[in-house]
Amino acid sequence: MSSTSNSPSGSNRVRIVVATSVMLTFISYWRAAAVILNDLGSSAFYACGIAEQAIGKSAPWFVLGVMLFAFAVRAVYVESCSMFVRGGVYRVVKEALGGTLAKISVSALMFDYILTGPVSAVSAGQYIAGLINDTIAIADAHGWVPAAIHRLFNGTPQVGVNATAVLFAVAVTLYFWWENIKGIEASSEKALWVMQITTVMVVMLLGWSFFTLLKVGGHLPPFPTLANIHYSQESLGFWKHSRLPHTFAILGLIIGFGHSVLAMSGEESLAQVYRELAHPKLKNLKRTAIVIGVYSFVFTGLVSLLAVMLIPDDVRVKVYSDNLIAGLAMHMVGPQVLRLAFRAFVVVVGFLILSGAVNTAIVGSNGVLNRVSEDGVLADWFRRPHKKFGTTYRIINLIVGLQLFTIIVSWGNIYTLGEAYAFGVVWSFVFKTISMLVLRYRYKGERNWKVPPNLHIFGVEIPIGLASVAMVLLSTAIVNLFTKSVATVSGLIFSVVFFAIFTFSEKVNRRKHAHTAAQMKEQFQLQQAESVERETVGIRPGNVLVPVRDYNTLNHLKWVLDRTDTHEQDVVVMTARISQFGAAAYSLSTEQMFSDYEQTLFTRAVSVAESFGKRISLLVVPARDSWSAIAQTAHNLESSGVVTGLSSKMTTAEQAFALGSAWEAIPEPKRQFVLQIVQTDGRVDTFRIGPHTPTMKNEDVVLLHRLWLNLTREPGLENVHHHDILTEALTRFANDYGARDREDIVKELRRHSADGGPLPARRIADQVHTVQPAPARPDRDDAPPSPKVTGSE
Amino acid sequence: MSFSVLLIKILEYMFVAGWIGSAVVLVLTGIEDVGTLLDREDENSH
Repeated sequence: MSSTSNSPSGSNRVRIVVATSVMLTFISYWRAAAVILNDLGSSAFYACGIAEQAIGKSAPWFVLGVMLFAFAVRAVYVESCSMFVRGGVYRVVKEALGGTLAKISVSALMFDYILTGPVSAVSAGQYIAGLINDTIAIADAHGWVPAAIHRLFNGTPQVGVNATAVLFAVAVTLYFWWENIKGIEASSEKALWVMQITTVMVVMLLGWSFFTLLKVGGHLPPFPTLANIHYSQESLGFWKHSRLPHTFAILGLIIGFGHSVLAMSGEESLAQVYRELAHPKLKNLKRTAIVIGVYSFVFTGLVSLLAVMLIPDDVRVKVYSDNLIAGLAMHMVGPQVLRLAFRAFVVVVGFLILSGAVNTAIVGSNGVLNRVSEDGVLADWFRRPHKKFGTTYRIINLIVGLQLFTIIVSWGNIYTLGEAYAFGVVWSFVFKTISMLVLRYRYKGERNWKVPPNLHIFGVEIPIGLASVAMVLLSTAIVNLFTKSVATVSGLIFSVVFFAIFTFSEKVNRRKHAHTAAQMKEQFQLQQAESVERETVGIRPGNVLVPVRDYNTLNHLKWVLDRTDTHEQDVVVMTARISQFGAAAYSLSTEQMFSDYEQTLFTRAVSVAESFGKRISLLVVPARDSWSAIAQTAHNLESSGVVTGLSSKMTTAEQAFALGSAWEAIPEPKRQFVLQIVQTDGRVDTFRIGPHTPTMKNEDVVLLHRLWLNLTREPGLENVHHHDILTEALTRFANDYGARDREDIVKELRRHSADGGPLPARRIADQVHTVQPAPARPDRDDAPPSPKVTGSE
Repeated sequence: MSFSVLLIKILEYMFVAGWIGSAVVLVLTGIEDVGTLLDREDENSH
């Protein structure tokens, strides 16, 4: 009998069920907003400074205009998400304009993502360098810098701002490179925490700024008229020697708008978090859009305005253009030490949010490239998982390599970086919006919401709102081509190179995939399913789930097959395809096929099963993290056990804890199951996942028994059971923990957990003497559970 | 009229018309947003 055939058709091909929905832990709109604002909010730290360098003092009006316009752009994203759950740029453009333009749009998006990292990291470095220099300058002014050091530096010691920024940016980028190689678990929890701290800073900043305005007064920046727009040499790019920008008033507005458009970078994240939003999805998406709209308008828009109103002209551009919020902190009313302390707080917040954006850039780029790679547009070679960590390390290396190159080439020049960044931002918006416009006529599927207003003339819909947003974006993007020469040249080179890579890869892959598809046809039968259900996989309850990742370490599968009669109990081999937080928009699509690696992995798993003459079921599950995938799949498949290998990063106890935590996140009702971890030397550790009777140590059992003996001799307690004592003890423990003795309990438990500590149960048991010899009567209670034969708790 | 001037004129018209339309989008979605915020039904916990 063919041991691995479980195809319902009875053929020898092994059926692989591919779940197309990522197993996500759904999040509230507040958390979703926090995730987006980690990217969108970070631009407040550099957007206005860059804009003012380009167009002069009226820049805050343009930034405010961009933040207002961002509300309309958000509406486009809401409409796209109401059509496609995975409504990222690639998907939408491919659907509307075809593969070639989708590749071009992804190239522009990659340019945007790759530059997010350098621009954020360099900006954080500029804030830190600025703080160091100003602190030393203040100390020097007070005579606290020794004369010898003063002589050594020929004046006040100062660090090179750009060099420090580059050094810092390289260090931060390398840190996140390593975190992503290891497989960082980015969470909405962390994003929420960063945004809480940022909100504290924003409230203090606005409150103190308005108080300062009341005290010392201030003037609004000049309104954005042609006379008030003062172009710098760099801001006109190819029109440097032309009179056109000085002649056409509205062209001046478009140029100013184009130099400020990077203030709304990060909007794309809205499409990425949509899949992870809790029910009701569309309503929560709208709420998220409102939160991020209002927040970024207040933070980026108002802070830009206040900075120009409060920081004197002579230092604003010269000293603080690259760290404008720090400059604002230093020009409030109040004691210098307090202002310096607040500036340090600004720098800390800037460091947190900008560093987060560096990580978002790596995660986002990785997500985009993974997505196009799954579509056959990037060679499978890039997707090969890291041997130890299972991450797509080659893609991460490529992204981080490009980011490091950008940081070093720009040498900390935030203006150049920002200008180039705006190229990617505006063109990815243009592609997205024009595609949405085209889809109004081409897409016939479900659409729950439309950007208003829409006119109907003779039965033809005229999408006025959508067309308006597209016109603003397209005119800005075209003007940017002329005014941002560095961005245009670098952006075009980058996009052309990426487009060429995509096109070449696609051609190579097409040939290769034809061969692979033939092999797949022979060996496997693919079945796509929206979600993982036991009926879909065609297995019985009480099955064993075996997660696999590395085809070289399938010992645990052998261990299971050796001990399982597959006639009685099904064995399901699953692999989780990880799509990180915020990268979900680029995960599986219906046309997606297996990578070479996954095919090899399953081929090996099938070979192992064949060598045992047993059948297995195969399953691919997309998920945010592997533990959630395992817990959710075990739950959905009604598995009685999960058998996994030893992780290269964790101990068995840590693995069990991680899986237990993922299990806790599953909503009730949920099933318990047993986790068995097969180590390389053949030892097996067993854990119960979910609430269960704990394994009791002998000394605990002795103590319980002695207490029971004593208590049953008390009048009226003759019928007390062992479990009554445990109930009483646990109730008292819970009361103490919830009230007065929490600290002591935690301290004591930590001590025992850290060093093994003394054995209090044995010590106490020795002190609990029985009043008289134990009665010769049997315990009326069930015996306490005996310790497990194998495994640990 | 040179090509540059013609292009600029077209871009200017697109920008102004686009902004007027976008302002309408802002007003209409703003009204809808108020309704979304006031409607606390189905609001998930956070």
